[in-house]
Amino acid sequence: MSQLFSPRANTVLRSVLGLMVLVPLGSVALGMVLARSSYVTGEGLALPQPVPFSHRHHVGELGIDCLYCHTGATQSDFAGLPPTHTCMTCHSQLWTQAEMLEPVRRSLATDEPLRWNRVHNLPDYVFFSHKVHVNNGVGCTTCHGPVDEMALTAKAEPMTMGWCLDCHRDPAPNLRPPDAITSTDYAPTDGPDGHALLAEYGIDPKNLTDCSLCHR
Amino acid sequence: MTDRTGECGCGGACGDGDDRLWRTPEDYLRDGPVEAAAEFPKGVRQPALSRRTALKLLAATSLLPAAACAPPPRDIVPYVNMPERVVPGEPLQFATMVTLSGFAQPVLATSREGRPTKLEPNPAYRGAVGTSVFTQGEVLSLYDPDRSRTLLHEGEIASWSELHRTVVERVQPGIAAARGRGLRILTGRVTSPTLLDQLDTLLDRYPGARWHCWEPVDTANEQEGARLAFGRPLEVRPRFDRARRILSLDADFLGPGPAQTANAAAYADGARARARVREMTRLYCVEPSLTITGATAAHRHAVGRGNVAAVAKAVMDALEGQPIDDALPESLTDFVAAAARDLSGHPGEALIVAGRAQPPEVHALVHAINERLGANGRTVSFVAPDAVAARCRPLAPLVREMRAGEVETLVILDGNPVYDAPADLGFGAALREVPFSLHLGLMRNETARACRWHVPALHALESWGDGRTADGQTALQQPLITPLYGGRSPFALLGMLLDPLADFDDVGRRAVRAHWRQASGAADFEAWWSRNLSRGLVEDGARGTVDPGPARRHQGFQPEFEAGRDGAFEAVFLPHPSMWDGRFANNAWLQETPEPLSKLTWGNAALLAPADAEALGVEDGDVVTVMTEEGGFGLPAMVSVGQAPGSVGLFLGYGRLHAGEIGTEIGTDVYPLRRSDALWARPGLALAKGDGRRPLATTQHHHDMHGRDIVRTLDLDAFAAMEPYESHDHPPSLYPDYDYESHAWGMVIDQTVCIGCNACMVACQAENNVPVVGPDEILRGREMHWLRIDRYYKGEPENAETLFQPVTCMHCEKAPCEPVCPVEASVHDSEGLNVQVYNRCIGTRFCQANCPYKVRRFNFFGYGDDQTYENLGEPVYDAVSNPDVSVRSRGVMEKCTYCVQRISRARRTADVEDRPLGPQEVVTACQAACPTRAIVFGDLNNAESPVRVLKDEPHEYALLGELGTRPRTTYLARVRSVNGEVRRP
Repeated sequence: MSQLFSPRANTVLRSVLGLMVLVPLGSVALGMVLARSSYVTGEGLALPQPVPFSHRHHVGELGIDCLYCHTGATQSDFAGLPPTHTCMTCHSQLWTQAEMLEPVRRSLATDEPLRWNRVHNLPDYVFFSHKVHVNNGVGCTTCHGPVDEMALTAKAEPMTMGWCLDCHRDPAPNLRPPDAITSTDYAPTDGPDGHALLAEYGIDPKNLTDCSLCHR
Repeated sequence: MTDRTGECGCGGACGDGDDRLWRTPEDYLRDGPVEAAAEFPKGVRQPALSRRTALKLLAATSLLPAAACAPPPRDIVPYVNMPERVVPGEPLQFATMVTLSGFAQPVLATSREGRPTKLEPNPAYRGAVGTSVFTQGEVLSLYDPDRSRTLLHEGEIASWSELHRTVVERVQPGIAAARGRGLRILTGRVTSPTLLDQLDTLLDRYPGARWHCWEPVDTANEQEGARLAFGRPLEVRPRFDRARRILSLDADFLGPGPAQTANAAAYADGARARARVREMTRLYCVEPSLTITGATAAHRHAVGRGNVAAVAKAVMDALEGQPIDDALPESLTDFVAAAARDLSGHPGEALIVAGRAQPPEVHALVHAINERLGANGRTVSFVAPDAVAARCRPLAPLVREMRAGEVETLVILDGNPVYDAPADLGFGAALREVPFSLHLGLMRNETARACRWHVPALHALESWGDGRTADGQTALQQPLITPLYGGRSPFALLGMLLDPLADFDDVGRRAVRAHWRQASGAADFEAWWSRNLSRGLVEDGARGTVDPGPARRHQGFQPEFEAGRDGAFEAVFLPHPSMWDGRFANNAWLQETPEPLSKLTWGNAALLAPADAEALGVEDGDVVTVMTEEGGFGLPAMVSVGQAPGSVGLFLGYGRLHAGEIGTEIGTDVYPLRRSDALWARPGLALAKGDGRRPLATTQHHHDMHGRDIVRTLDLDAFAAMEPYESHDHPPSLYPDYDYESHAWGMVIDQTVCIGCNACMVACQAENNVPVVGPDEILRGREMHWLRIDRYYKGEPENAETLFQPVTCMHCEKAPCEPVCPVEASVHDSEGLNVQVYNRCIGTRFCQANCPYKVRRFNFFGYGDDQTYENLGEPVYDAVSNPDVSVRSRGVMEKCTYCVQRISRARRTADVEDRPLGPQEVVTACQAACPTRAIVFGDLNNAESPVRVLKDEPHEYALLGELGTRPRTTYLARVRSVNGEVRRP
């Protein structure tokens, strides 16, 4: 009677046993890494837009304030994108024949809105409010990154729940005084201490991790 | 499986031998083959794939999730030119009105980027708080995809210019030449001052023209009664806020109707039981079918509709010291005598009201009794009716003229007389005799199909207008949205008859402004207009009261009490609490709202007294046949507590043939029984047990609380002497206590003034995107309402006390649902809310099983998402969704959140304005809609909060508090102001 198992059988068995542990663990780990990777979060990825709008030019070089276009940021949950008319306040005078701005002129002429691709796309079950953050010391660039350096707008942060919670658990280091909210070059050392700001804004970090704060 | 006819595969060898196979006794008794239960209930959208294909695809797509972790890409669409005042994301509120049976219902409409999504009560409406179910349902009706979208001529799509040409060339010249002879206008009740103005002009211009009104649920008897008593037509305005003793004679004044919110608020003002208050309004009620007024009354007696007149006379006799007719049963004599003594003991504070279903003579007699009680001028006021409104004529002469060929042109402005006119008039047949008939309406309903022309109308939220409330205040209506499906206003159609070459663009706005420019008499009209339009109600818009003079007594009116004859039934017609007269049939929210007493949804039934049901041998759901000389029809029976023996309660508004995808052929049409000489009660009917059963989609058999101490009741005397319930001594708990440092949200529901009207339920549905599941899912016990109103009876079935208990999530401090959730989807927040995190929920339903209050609802299907009932998934319905609340998907648990989105909005607003939250700043949707302020919500940590004060009332108690759940929602026991002289049955 010949051998049922070849000499390699032991090696194969040990490998299979090892893989039975490693493959599931590895897949889970891979999944977790993948979910946090920029491949999934879209971090740093500039989406195609109808007009290649440059924040670097408008904010960094011309120094237009964030709130000039994103008027809802202080009053509404949504910062909002400017209506075509806001673009045309300048571009009816400047670069009036630029090919790049053709969609904007067409939007004005046909009364059809521009359709921008959403760069910061939160799931429907997340209810984020710009006005609460902006009025409580969270600056624009804290979440949106160095917008003044972006030729094409991309997500600067992963915008995952873990990233939100990092700040909600300890907001002090990310706070700014009210006059520095839209500043693009604010550094924490420039202003008062975060804990002083917590008190000034009346923020109680204990309640900032309630599920109902963002999910309802 | 075989059926009774023997097709069992034996080739007939088995003969009649009853060897059928059956699963349940019900299958056995049923005729015809037993059908396997469908996998998907009727009405639920079938999945496009078979199960097998789905599994194959599942296997294939298992490789894809790595690529599908991110949300799908979406776009952002800014305005081209942002409208003034609009801040995207921030709702705006506009004061406007909707109508019910012609009467204005003032509202504040919430608009989200131009979409009306919710109607709230208008605080400028004096005397009323809350809204009715109908008002709450209007936002859904607005978006109804079944709404009429095109002009039709003989059923074919036509254009406005075709109609215009016909009118210009043929119709209007004919009318003008004949000075209006042959022109008839048919409307529902009109209270709009502008439209009345226009009708007045039209009738003056064309003296031969006539204007007729038909309203299936009207106040004709009331008006005629006032004329009998005072010699002139008067509008009667009961002042429930001034009355301390009220006797209702078949008057469902708290029930559905245009005056419900005003009446309920006025009644509740005197009916609250508080520790400091020693006196409460006492309500007596005599009625044939149990209504919510009867359920609220301290003393109620079931009496057939035809016998209420005899009761009215007995009250008068008792007050005059005359002997009471001995034909009255002893219990009723006692009731009347005690009530009469009580009423006469409160001169100037007593009030008797007679219902719309009672004949004018009863109303006249009631005026005489009220005069004797010193009520006229104190607890009842009288108002002279509008002079133009008095020019409208009833329906019957119109139908006569139509049949005689005297009507050339008939313009029907809204309404559905082909469906709801009394059957003996034969309106539908007479309509065919009219050469030019035109119907203006929201829906392509039965009447629209029978008319030669049909013009789509504008919804109240799309049009300009005005109107009077049932208590005489004047409201203005402004559009919140561009007409979704085109549509024309009545102003345009009447204007076309007056001057067909006029400009009809924006005619509503111009007509209303022109009327008020003159009527207001304001020097600066633009200031007047913007001030009143933003308020929604016209300043000093109410007509003054008049002294009616002495009430004449008609000695000839001697009603007699008739004991029921064996086997003969009196049909009692009732407007339905959510369908009204049938006009709301295509509103899925209202179809799914349980009738307050039977808890029946999606249909109507013959309401039978328990004794009658036993005599007929029928149980709930058995078909009974109603026989008249014209024929008969069957409908399911429902044993109804409080139904007068010998009478059968029939709800109007069902069995529509052309209501739309939701409402067509739901329930049974009982209008064929209604005759012009028997509008409200039809005596002499024969009832018999019919064949078969029809399942009744009730919600009352679910969520049974198994006879525990659920609703507590007290008499006023016992309340005055009571020791506070010990609801604050909690049993010990193993779980650690939370400390609620910031806010602690809580709710108190006052069961004494809860009238069970359902306004809170529908308001919750509108606010929280609560899906409709349809009748089959209701039969499976899968309704999704976050707020339900439990109804309990206490005592003998013949004269039981009825108790309402609204049940929301209790937001327990020791919530049984929280520790059993394996994924922590059910969690506690720092303000005491018991939070359900939808995106975590995996649908184990452990929480539902462990909830003692049974308030958690599970999405067995994607009811709100992709497996909606009938056409509720049409894209247009997305517009009614509240964007502040997630739409839940299949397999997710949901429940009342205490309107966390409203708490959050108030908190965000206060936070941005850098101030603390005010004590009454957060108002939940149910609280806002409650017409009696029975629901009070607020912060228990704020000493100024009204809810904090109520928590200290002695009769405050926790539902099932002995379980140690420490619910945040607690109840005030129902306190009844009983008269010790009335014998308890």
